Amino acid sequence: MAELDLNAALPVLLLLTSLVPAGIIFLLAEEQERTRRVVNMAGALAKVVLTGVLIAGVLGGAEYEWRRALLPGIDLVLRVDPIPLLFVTLSSILWLTTTVYAIGYLEKGQRRSRFFGFFSLCVTATIGIALAGNLVTFLLFYELLTIATYPLVVHQGDRKALIGGRAYLLYSVTGGAVLLVAIAWLHALAGPVEFLDYTPLAGLVDDNATSLTLIFVLLIAGLGVKTALVPLHGWLPKAMVAPAPVSSLLHAVAVVKAGAYGIVRVVYDLYGLALAQELRLLTPLLVLAAVTIVYGSLRALAQDDLKRRLAYSTVSQLSYIVLGVGIASLAGVTGGLVHLIHQGIQKVTLFYCAGNLAKQLGVTRISQMRGVGRRMPLTMGAFTVAALGMIGIPPTAGFVTKWHLGLGGLQAGQGVVIWILLLSSVLNAAYFLPIIARIWFLRPEGEEAGAPVMERDLERDPWLVLPAVVTGLSVLVVGLLAGAPLSPLNWAASIAAEVVGS
Amino acid sequence: MNLLLWLAPILVPLAVGAVLTLRPGRGTSWLLAAAPVPALLLAVTGPVLPAPELPWLLLEPRLALDEPGRVLLGLTALVWIIAGVYGRTEAEQRGGFADWWLLSLTGNIGLLLSDDILTFYTAFVVMTLAAYGLVVHSRTAEARRAGRVYLVLGVAGETLLLAGLLLAAADATGLRMADIAIAVAQSPDRDLIMALLVAGFGIKAGVIGLHIWLPLAHPAAPFAASAVLSGAMIKAGLVGWLRLLPIGVVALPGWSEVLVTLGLATAVLGVALGLTQRAPKVVLAYSSVSQMGFITLLIGVALASPSAAPVAVAAAAAYALHHGIAKAVLFLAVGLLPQFGTGWRRTTLLVGVVVAGLALAGAPLSSGAFAKAWMKQAIDLALPGTNLTTLASLAAVGTTVLMARLLLLLRARLPDTAAVGSAAGLEPFSTLVAATLVATPLVAPALFPALATPGARSLVTEALWPVALGLLLATAAVLLRRRVSLHIPEVWPGDLVVITERAVSGAARGLAAAAPPVTTTLSRTSSAVQAAALALGRRDEGLDRLEDRLTRWRTGGAMVALVALAVTAALLLPAR
Repeated sequence: MAELDLNAALPVLLLLTSLVPAGIIFLLAEEQERTRRVVNMAGALAKVVLTGVLIAGVLGGAEYEWRRALLPGIDLVLRVDPIPLLFVTLSSILWLTTTVYAIGYLEKGQRRSRFFGFFSLCVTATIGIALAGNLVTFLLFYELLTIATYPLVVHQGDRKALIGGRAYLLYSVTGGAVLLVAIAWLHALAGPVEFLDYTPLAGLVDDNATSLTLIFVLLIAGLGVKTALVPLHGWLPKAMVAPAPVSSLLHAVAVVKAGAYGIVRVVYDLYGLALAQELRLLTPLLVLAAVTIVYGSLRALAQDDLKRRLAYSTVSQLSYIVLGVGIASLAGVTGGLVHLIHQGIQKVTLFYCAGNLAKQLGVTRISQMRGVGRRMPLTMGAFTVAALGMIGIPPTAGFVTKWHLGLGGLQAGQGVVIWILLLSSVLNAAYFLPIIARIWFLRPEGEEAGAPVMERDLERDPWLVLPAVVTGLSVLVVGLLAGAPLSPLNWAASIAAEVVGS
Repeated sequence: MNLLLWLAPILVPLAVGAVLTLRPGRGTSWLLAAAPVPALLLAVTGPVLPAPELPWLLLEPRLALDEPGRVLLGLTALVWIIAGVYGRTEAEQRGGFADWWLLSLTGNIGLLLSDDILTFYTAFVVMTLAAYGLVVHSRTAEARRAGRVYLVLGVAGETLLLAGLLLAAADATGLRMADIAIAVAQSPDRDLIMALLVAGFGIKAGVIGLHIWLPLAHPAAPFAASAVLSGAMIKAGLVGWLRLLPIGVVALPGWSEVLVTLGLATAVLGVALGLTQRAPKVVLAYSSVSQMGFITLLIGVALASPSAAPVAVAAAAAYALHHGIAKAVLFLAVGLLPQFGTGWRRTTLLVGVVVAGLALAGAPLSSGAFAKAWMKQAIDLALPGTNLTTLASLAAVGTTVLMARLLLLLRARLPDTAAVGSAAGLEPFSTLVAATLVATPLVAPALFPALATPGARSLVTEALWPVALGLLLATAAVLLRRRVSLHIPEVWPGDLVVITERAVSGAARGLAAAAPPVTTTLSRTSSAVQAAALALGRRDEGLDRLEDRLTRWRTGGAMVALVALAVTAALLLPAR
């Protein structure tokens, strides 16, 4: 009995590791910097440890589920399934690094109490989304995420931030509403449906194929807002006015990733690959992803503002995941799932580095980045690795994704996928390689030949440098050790085998 | 032990890179020349120990070394060692050089040792991107332009290559190079894959039309880097072809013809374009283009008949060895001449130039004579009754004239007293000159029993007339030049690049004129990418406005509904 209780408690505990710190931090006064740090770090570390326990448990065959009745017939369910565990791991690890980064990034007088409170809340919502065992639970945390993130987006409080925040709110609330309609419709049709239980929907195919298709469309439209699928992406480049730690988390784990994760779950764990194929839902999704990939890259190419370019790059990269969802083959599913992780670590690194540049050198535009490589070698080294990952240059993580998506497309008989991928790679190269060349091979402005400026001070703060270096290295390690037993790739591949087999 | 033998060639350069980054300076820069030594050891011992299996690394890398691989690995290590001795000065003077050098070296060795396409592709890409650092090292405007062209072509090549590899891998039984070669032969998309691989590697090998980066990039780099670019790295394309095309698996007469034609055209046009050049390093770069043409031709020969393939492959490897050493000698000599401008040192360098030049021309008993004899053996075996051998000999006439021109250009150059003296003497250079004489005739027959020992006829008689004719032509040209002013039309280095650049910047200017003047200036536009980005940038404001409008309240809700409707329509229309 005690064993059972613990297994039910673990998912909740995982939520509490960020919910409790959020509560404590809201109560702390602005000046209690040291206490806040301790609480933050303790929560983040506890979450990573708990995730480790969960992984060990799942490997050992344990099941973790927590269930309470919410409304008659509708349960609130938190359950650790394979895909959720993947997402939880990503979230916990990147929450830890981003917490470290945020502590270094935010200075006195920047309302740190409010910031870290909502920050922790935001992660709580993300974990809730990850562990949601049915659509209602998912929606609950999805809406919580919208609310918890808004104060972070408008944190600067200036006009631009408010405009960005408003756009974010409008899109998200509308998307949430569409999602609500879809979920309600589904419940009216099929009763309570849980993830990974395919029987209720499969039984409806014969009589209600059109309704199922329409519900799917509404679900994707609702989730597509956060996933920034074109043409629902407009809020993302505006929301990049948020402080760097928020952008990092927003682009890598929390908001946009929650949307993509939702699509993954709807297709794999709600409808199931077989049903989705039967209803011919995958090809339109593939087309949508392809358009988004190319459009995002083209827009990124034209931006001079570094964070804006990165934002459009997110639009494009996120749809690699959706592209993977649209490819019904083992390698394709693997590629899409593994990109959940790969896009996360790559984009988080890029945003850390962009933040460091803005904070230490006041550099926010690409045209100002001449020769910054020699002034901030560690940060820019991490940036370079992550950018190469975005292009998909081996041996970085991005290449592993690209290879599997391409191979998957061919296996599924959708050869057009490789041309989209290659076009996107070329575009990625066109907007990242010139930056890399500028960083390393141009002299800093105002510097004479042969008189290098060495300002070690720029990289003295470990709170700022360490997260970027660690995640940057991980981009390389994850790619280099893709064949290792617990690598994201093998993990994704084993999930993909289940998804395709089911 | 086998781990050490197989991994040291790849890991030692990386370790040296780490050391040189942490402790740069005179005390450590000699490591630059030591880094390729493990690779040389492996090439010399050969695969005496089985290659280790590394299942947890990047999608299971496989390592292997066949005979052509051994020859090319030996060549690569030798050239990198000797060039490393002279690259030291550069590395000491400016940070970064050693890093790019060693990363390029790692890639270059890695691609020779890899036996699966993912490791191969990784090494290939690492080498290409790292070598960008060598090309732009001098930071001059010229070097940057060369670097830009290099990078655009490099990325294009890698993209074509990846497409080819993916298409082949989708049907292959495994990811080993041999599996892929078989898959290429059997694929329904065979011609597409072949085209992608020929073009992808063709960019690296400088096949005519795709060669445009080469005469810009090779000369732009510091001379030691030029030597490794033209002596060793240029062979990466050959390695790719040897391993991934279905050579010895099926006969592909059509593709054989394409490659033979391309090879001959490259050989001839490389010389012709080179003759118009004034800068010695550019002359050498065009000579590399031309020489790679012969190797391309041999790949075509190998594709003609599976039974003749072993001889053609051996001949290609031997030719690569011969050309690599000779070209490295020439680039080093050109770079060292300003430093050792007087006395016996100058003589030594010029003797080196003459020896290597004669070898490239295929003078009797030189390494070139051997290489060309084997080339003829392969041609006679695979494509008997063609006049290919005669055409190849005519191209050799051109090479002779080109080498004569190089010598004249070098002799006319006055010693540059301001040039920084290299710390190293001429001993390593002389070693390489000696290798020019002996390496190919000794190594190739030992490793490839298929190669017949060339008789006196092919080594002397047949080798003599192209060189003699070439020298005669060169002398005539010089004499003629004294009487009448001979006007050689000047071709810009990088020939087609210049035309492309002008077209692109013209188009960009046209765009700028058409659109109202905006914030960005177009003066610096010179690459297609930049032009495209700027053109897009202008439309960007429109797109921004559009996206702004989309974010407004009323449109927000309406749009979600619209999208939902649109997708529904798309979904319902094709439904049963």
